[in-house]
Amino acid sequence: MQVQTITRRVDPHLAIDLYDPEAELLLLHFGPQHPSTHGVFRMDLYLDGEIVVKVVPYVGYLHRAVEKLCEKLTYAQITPVVDKNDYVAPMTNEQAINMAFEALLGIEVPRRARWIRTIFAEMQRIASHLLWLGTFALDMGGALGGGSTVFLHCFRERELILDLFEDVTGARFHYNTHTVGGNRHDIPAGWSAKVKAALDVIASRLPEYASMTLENRIFIERTRGVGILDGELALELGVTGPILRASGVDHDLRRDAPFHAYDEVKVNVVTRSAGDCLARAQVRLGEIEESIRLVRAMIDGIPEGIINAGRPIKQPAQFKIPAGQVYVGIETPRGELGTYVIADGTANAHRLKIRPPSLHALSALPHILPGATVSDAVVILGSLDPIMGEADR
Amino acid sequence: MGAASVKSFGYLIDSVRALGTSMRQVFRPVNTVQFPDVIRPRAERYRASFALLHDEEGDELCIGCLQCERICPSQVIAIKAAGKRESPITGKKRGYADDFTLDMSACIFCELCVQVCPTDAIVMTREQDPPAYSREDLVLTMDKLYANEKSKTRSWGDATKLMGMQEAPKAPKAHAPAAVAATVGAAAPAAAESAPATKPSEAAPGSASSDPTRAPEGQVPPAPPAAPDAGAAS
Ligand code: SF4
Ligand code: SF4
Repeated sequence: MQVQTITRRVDPHLAIDLYDPEAELLLLHFGPQHPSTHGVFRMDLYLDGEIVVKVVPYVGYLHRAVEKLCEKLTYAQITPVVDKNDYVAPMTNEQAINMAFEALLGIEVPRRARWIRTIFAEMQRIASHLLWLGTFALDMGGALGGGSTVFLHCFRERELILDLFEDVTGARFHYNTHTVGGNRHDIPAGWSAKVKAALDVIASRLPEYASMTLENRIFIERTRGVGILDGELALELGVTGPILRASGVDHDLRRDAPFHAYDEVKVNVVTRSAGDCLARAQVRLGEIEESIRLVRAMIDGIPEGIINAGRPIKQPAQFKIPAGQVYVGIETPRGELGTYVIADGTANAHRLKIRPPSLHALSALPHILPGATVSDAVVILGSLDPIMGEADR
Repeated sequence: MGAASVKSFGYLIDSVRALGTSMRQVFRPVNTVQFPDVIRPRAERYRASFALLHDEEGDELCIGCLQCERICPSQVIAIKAAGKRESPITGKKRGYADDFTLDMSACIFCELCVQVCPTDAIVMTREQDPPAYSREDLVLTMDKLYANEKSKTRSWGDATKLMGMQEAPKAPKAHAPAAVAATVGAAAPAAAESAPATKPSEAAPGSASSDPTRAPEGQVPPAPPAAPDAGAAS
């Protein structure tokens, strides 16, 4: 496999003259409706034979003006709306936005709510990585034990987690279970036992996934050395999360800037140094194991107490946040999800900016795709785990 | 030549292993159900559709206060408030809603309207409405909402229960064991029928004490590795 050396000063967009008839490049529109783009995402691939020489990614097909909408809505109404950004890990969107408001208000979230938030976040990470593994295997085609096998196995296990969320919140995807100052739903009786049972099932199935992916020669040969992202370049592009950790940079906000209850538990950060698609898969599967360990360690120790520091909001127009600005970043399954809020003392935010990890992951494409073949392009895109709902917002 | 065949043999072994994993599923219980014949039990708090309720005397609970219309993030609730008039049943003067529509085609099922209602008038149901053939069918009119009260299983939540779950106790801060007991006591009657709001059994012994030295939640973390806008231009 050809390994790319990236000279950082070369702009990947401008290195080639597209209109040079001598170059005989083939322009291939990849997406927006391609099944492996996970949402609506388009790349223009310029091909020399089967080799990609230049990539121009286009985002924005799913733009819903969420940030503007958040400025129009009152603080009390924002949470269910941002749920739709990263629709594979909706819990983390709610947590990020509410933590920003809490920081502006100076509210301390009750300990019980923090523990529940941590458990939700980790379960969400398991569900999100399972979905990623399934779709990634699907992208790679039919060689792995029969096409959609891994996909269906992963979805089967993800259902277990969605069922658990349904027990708590009544919804499967768009929970609206966090609020400013804490949580809206307390966990029902007997939920911990169900969580432990579900985690046991998932943990027992992890070796099965490995037999079809990480330990499978076909999978390894399709991913090893493909799409190598250099750690330094990743930092420069703002890439975070499992992709950064697979490039050898040991950075995880759960450990480096603990939020929720992460200061009370020890998070073992999974890193790999290869920076290729295989390393990303190893990091994500390692994180599933680590998340299972964390939830198991926490589920029996949820402290007693209240779940909301304030009173639930009844009158949205009366709930005001004092003027000020804040940036809060949390570690979601895809990396650092940042929320920047400028409040002006009214019931609406003056400006609200969301920093989605997926957008930054996609910005690595022009650097890592050139030199790969078209079939590898699908694998590389899948390995970045982009969620277009949050990249375009 | 020899190396190539060893390599192919490796592929074969791994393929057979993966196939073995697939075959193992044959002996596991089936995960899916035949939907229209078998309907999976829905969670107690499942949110699927809406209903408006009557009180014990058969009077409409909704007083037309417009709280739900105001908090709805999608602005799909439209209410015509009637103002005060005498109740046909009790004879007391109280507010009514003349018309109440909820457009489910844009509702995001956030449960906020249920949470803010002062009289527990609007609740969610666990059963969906039947599939719609046109957009008009998705609009829940007042008649449909009151019909849902009878025809559909109610979801667990109503305003009192949802509020009771989150309400902080009045005076001393939460962490003292006495205050915790008070919370449990206050929330238990509201939540008694299904899920108590807080369960002593779920906490490990000794974990209820809080750490007073802990910094407040939501402190601004150190600068991210790149500016929030670094990749936005591409
Ligand atoms: S559940 Fe639907 S109707 Fe109720 S507030 Fe949310 S969006 Fe509006
Ligand atoms: S349903 Fe409840 S919140 Fe809505 S108008 Fe009627 S009483 Fe007020």
